[in-house]
Amino acid sequence: MALAAVLDVALTPLLTFGWVGPKFMVLGVVIAVAGLPELQALLLGFFGGVLADTLGGGLFGVGALGGVFAATASVRIRSIHMKREAHLVLAQALAVAAYDLLSLFAPILLGRSGPPITNYLVGGMMPDVLLNAFLAYLVGRWLLRLVTMKEE
Amino acid sequence: MFTLYVREGDSGPLHTVQLGAAEVLRPVRSLVGIAASPFTTTREAVERALDSSEKKALEEKAQKHEEDAAEAARLRQENERLRKLLKGERASFDYSPLAQVVAPVGGQFTERIVLDVGAEDGIKPEQPVVVGENILVGRTTSQVTPNTAEVLLVTDPNFAAGVRIIPPAVTERATSGESTSGETTTSRETTASGEASSAEGLLRTNWEGYLAVDYVNLSDEVEQGDFILTSGRAGQRELLFPPGLLVGTVESVSAQDIDQYKKIVVTPAAKIDDLHEVRVITDW
Repeated sequence: MALAAVLDVALTPLLTFGWVGPKFMVLGVVIAVAGLPELQALLLGFFGGVLADTLGGGLFGVGALGGVFAATASVRIRSIHMKREAHLVLAQALAVAAYDLLSLFAPILLGRSGPPITNYLVGGMMPDVLLNAFLAYLVGRWLLRLVTMKEE
Repeated sequence: MFTLYVREGDSGPLHTVQLGAAEVLRPVRSLVGIAASPFTTTREAVERALDSSEKKALEEKAQKHEEDAAEAARLRQENERLRKLLKGERASFDYSPLAQVVAPVGGQFTERIVLDVGAEDGIKPEQPVVVGENILVGRTTSQVTPNTAEVLLVTDPNFAAGVRIIPPAVTERATSGESTSGETTTSRETTASGEASSAEGLLRTNWEGYLAVDYVNLSDEVEQGDFILTSGRAGQRELLFPPGLLVGTVESVSAQDIDQYKKIVVTPAAKIDDLHEVRVITDW
């Protein structure tokens, strides 16, 4: 989680193009909570998000809530009968969509301007979800296997 | 947590924790920035090599080279005169030491960078950041640590600055000391005091991605090539920036009858995406 948070802060700005970029913190939460009981998963997601908020310097609370959403998605999707890789990709896609919406509405709640919502949903959130789902498919499978092996 | 962060102010515990983390992460950001620079250069080179239309574009550029060179010479002279004028207007700026850009920060909705100077170098929140001879590129945010400072770039949608739009002819007259009551080199209107009227507006990057000047009345006369300078005030109120900092030039002007204001697109005077060394104006 700590590594994901550091990557999110140091690497993501360099890899972000417009509204689209990798969400290492979300991926870290989704993978780290795989196999954990629900309460532990939610707590880990929350504190992972707090860590990302602390290191990132953005609006405090967005990462924390995003982490909780990511953990919830990861835990709840386990009940659907699918391959583990499909669980991972779906959880990552849902978590990134939730994180993007939080990032969109948090500044608006503060009275700051935001992009036109339809434009953002089509040109920002959708490609972002697809990119991160693909990233989860590429990297996540291997990391998930690593995490599972350690647990065993 | 979100509410607490918003309500606590810049000196609150959550802000302080973030500042501490930014200071701790500075070496990591520097290392990642250094490590990423060859990839960035390589990516640009590959993009150039793969672009088949580049050859044709280069041929067209070569054909226009002579007239462009003549135009460039004229613009250089004009630019030089403008810079001298700016220097003459405000010789009393205090600058921070030359600052290196450490790394970009932020996410989807922000355009920010971190500098390797901070409070120990006299940097405070909300000070203007310039390159070259006072070309405005951004302002410092509240995230200033002893050795780092975060900068909100002019291309961030949350950046705003009061600006004046000045025709080049005004700067020519001003530098050559001509009286505007007699010979005029422009068809623009002049005020009773003899100064050419300049439009005022609010500079900001809109969500469509271009830098623009908003709230310029339809009756104001603005043309392509006019200079955008900070006004330093909004009505009677002093703003964050000293007057006379160059921001860019007018790229296009358009308006429809139903619009209340002109649509003015601005070309930044500095390459905002390619900043390496900047200075912070600490006092004026």
